[in-house]
Amino acid sequence: MFKRYFEKVWVQNLTLLALVGLVVYYFAFIFEFKYDFDWAVFVTEGQYGHMGHLMVNGINTTLTITFYSAAIALFMGTVFGLARLSGFKPVYWFATSYVELFRNTPLLIQLFFWNFALPYAFPEEIRFKLFEMDFEFWCATIGCGIFTGAFMAEIIRAGIQSIPKGLLEASYSSGLTFSQTLRKIILPLAFREIIPPLGSEFLNNMKNTSLAMTIGVTELCWSMTEVYSLTYRTFEAFSVATLVYLGLSLTIAGILYIVNERLKIMPRDQVTPLRRLADILFWPFDALGRRMEVIFWYFRKSPEQKTISPLRRLLKASARKLVLAAKGLFVAALAYLLYMVALALVHFNWEIIWANLKTLLIWRFPNGDETEFFMGLGGLAGSVLMAVISITGSFFIGLFVGMGRTAQNRAIRIPCTLYIELIRGVPLILVILWFYQAILEFVFKVDVHAFWAATIAMTFFFGAYIAETVRGGIENIPPGQVEAAKASGLTYFQTMRKIILPQALKQMLPALVGMFIAAFKDTSLAYIIGVMELTRAAYAINNRIMIYPFEIYTTVAVLYFVCCYFMSLYAKRLERKLSPETVRIEM
Amino acid sequence: MRVLKIFALTALLVMAASVAFAGPTYDRVMSEKVVKAGLSNQGIPFGFIDDKNEWVGFDVDMATEIAKRLGCKLEKVVVNNNTRISFVQTNPPKVDMVLSNMTHKRVRDEKIDFSITYFFDGQKFLAKKGVVKDVKDLANLKVGSMQGTTSIVNATAYLKELGNPNPQVTGYDGEVAMFEALRSGRVQAITTDSTILLGYAAKVPGQFELVGDFISDEPYGIGLPQDDSAWRDAINFTLQDIWKDGTYKTIYDKWFGPDSKYPFPLTSKIEMWP
Repeated sequence: MFKRYFEKVWVQNLTLLALVGLVVYYFAFIFEFKYDFDWAVFVTEGQYGHMGHLMVNGINTTLTITFYSAAIALFMGTVFGLARLSGFKPVYWFATSYVELFRNTPLLIQLFFWNFALPYAFPEEIRFKLFEMDFEFWCATIGCGIFTGAFMAEIIRAGIQSIPKGLLEASYSSGLTFSQTLRKIILPLAFREIIPPLGSEFLNNMKNTSLAMTIGVTELCWSMTEVYSLTYRTFEAFSVATLVYLGLSLTIAGILYIVNERLKIMPRDQVTPLRRLADILFWPFDALGRRMEVIFWYFRKSPEQKTISPLRRLLKASARKLVLAAKGLFVAALAYLLYMVALALVHFNWEIIWANLKTLLIWRFPNGDETEFFMGLGGLAGSVLMAVISITGSFFIGLFVGMGRTAQNRAIRIPCTLYIELIRGVPLILVILWFYQAILEFVFKVDVHAFWAATIAMTFFFGAYIAETVRGGIENIPPGQVEAAKASGLTYFQTMRKIILPQALKQMLPALVGMFIAAFKDTSLAYIIGVMELTRAAYAINNRIMIYPFEIYTTVAVLYFVCCYFMSLYAKRLERKLSPETVRIEM
Repeated sequence: MRVLKIFALTALLVMAASVAFAGPTYDRVMSEKVVKAGLSNQGIPFGFIDDKNEWVGFDVDMATEIAKRLGCKLEKVVVNNNTRISFVQTNPPKVDMVLSNMTHKRVRDEKIDFSITYFFDGQKFLAKKGVVKDVKDLANLKVGSMQGTTSIVNATAYLKELGNPNPQVTGYDGEVAMFEALRSGRVQAITTDSTILLGYAAKVPGQFELVGDFISDEPYGIGLPQDDSAWRDAINFTLQDIWKDGTYKTIYDKWFGPDSKYPFPLTSKIEMWP
């Protein structure tokens, strides 16, 4: 009986309303916050200056870094994505190592490396020249750009490779030239394929700029920290920063939505109003495209030029030589780079690395004090532990919330969607701070070790991401199966448990391994609240030794890389094993 | 959804290392016989990790001594410049006392309580030898300081006073990053409490020097939960006892005595009640 009522939309809406009401009632009247809000801190000039201005400055810097690094990332991504398709092996190897290296180490470690270690690679004069510019700012901007660029390169490569061979053959046989095929067939199709994942990379990049605070760039997170450590207004500072990040995320998502709408193929008579809006917004680009078309037409090769004049032949021959010379130059540059790396490795102070390796791996376990966390466990072992626990927890959250998001019932779907979108719009660093300093103690009234606070925060954070993966997996299952299950009398949960989830989970496995890698890399953010994981351990060692930052950060980067790289190889193997169409069936 | 909620709540409860209950800190400490102290782990010489990966420093020794005299076990909790106030401010407090080279200020005293002053310091500047010949030179230098401290506010005000309307002060994330900025040359001077500067300058002996006068008074106090006079008295009396029988001098000399790495003469006395 209840079930029938629950299928009615007004009942669902009422339930939602009641839920909201309950939450509001609970927090407004029953719940004791023991915290008095004072939003005035942002509008009045205090003893330590105007906090509102501080926040506005932070937002400004965040936007600047976001724009610049997005441009750098797009450039790097295009160049290296194309280089990954190159037939010339050294270029391919170089591009591949760029992508793998930067995708498999945490951004935080990369930023530390650029900021603390790299300057020592230069002679003093150059170093001082660098520092005269806004070094930290550019370090963060270029660092974020290079990091995101590695992800974009993969997306662009995959997008171009996804074009079926048959289409190319068809276009050539219908008489199009290569440049025409590129313009008319390859690029438009690749764009459609690339735009959605590229957009989420732009979003990630925006969120990642929050890490710039760790090297002293005064962006939004930095300002937020400054506000709460000068005024002790934790909730207010966190809320404002969160709202700004959410606003930025929504804006980026909105832009992408419109771009997507513009690229969709739809019949003339079924054009949606949104598409019309998108068309209006994209009018300047379309006009530009048409102009270009005219210009290209004007410069096309005329039939008289089909016979090659001696001058043209000479030009062509020299161009070929030029390409060859460029290749040679590239190989020489690569060899020089390798030589420099080898030289740096030889000059490494291996004793320092060796002496601190145990500390980096397990911190001070088992010699730690009994009041310490897990008898002093930390370092790499701590990071792995954190990743394992949080990904296990977030798997269950993801499973339920992901199922909830695909539900028909609004009262279930809307809260789940809200949770996913809220969490995904905020940088992890902020989620960790929220949990560590606000939610756990004020809302849940529990007092936990920083390790657990970070782990819980990461569990909820990755829960949202896994939920999206689960949703994708569930929606991939043909609807006929659900109908068949319904027809044979299975309930919703039986259908899920016996039919949908076993198949969906198997499909999701590579994505889940990928999520685990992401979680493992992101444990480095627990650094911010002082958990002794690998990054913090490296920082502590560097604090003590001071003069070998190059060695220590390289070792840490290698440790992260080795772990992540082998897992990503495993994920690739799983993917190949699980997708039957790419496996060659042998008899 | 209910299953999820129940699961999340149980998980939270299981994970909670100790569910603290409200109540005056003094009663809680005395019944549990454990005192939780918030300490920094990256501020040489107050609280840092040494070559043997031990957590040591002046503040750590003081906390250990206080815990010993109260007959309790010490539980060390990491705090940094951003969390040292909020950890005693919460209800129930995350730590019972904070010793983290924290200056007793009126604004801070509105949020938490402080013990009597247990260390006397002042803010100074540290620069490469020979860079600063006159105090006025400081005005146009790039200066580094620490995020979340009042040092950065003081420094900006001081440089303005010296005649630079738009001083360049960068707030780094902690002592290490700040000193690293000076060492690599991205700032020409750094500023915070002088003993911390001494601690880092001793890392590379002979290269750096303290310049100028003290630009502020920094009396360090132990941060305590607000409105708990029994607990505050217990700490104050213990501090005075530590001073009276000479233990304070021993601890002080271990870190700042003439034979230590960071000599800093003891010039003031702590407040003694008859």
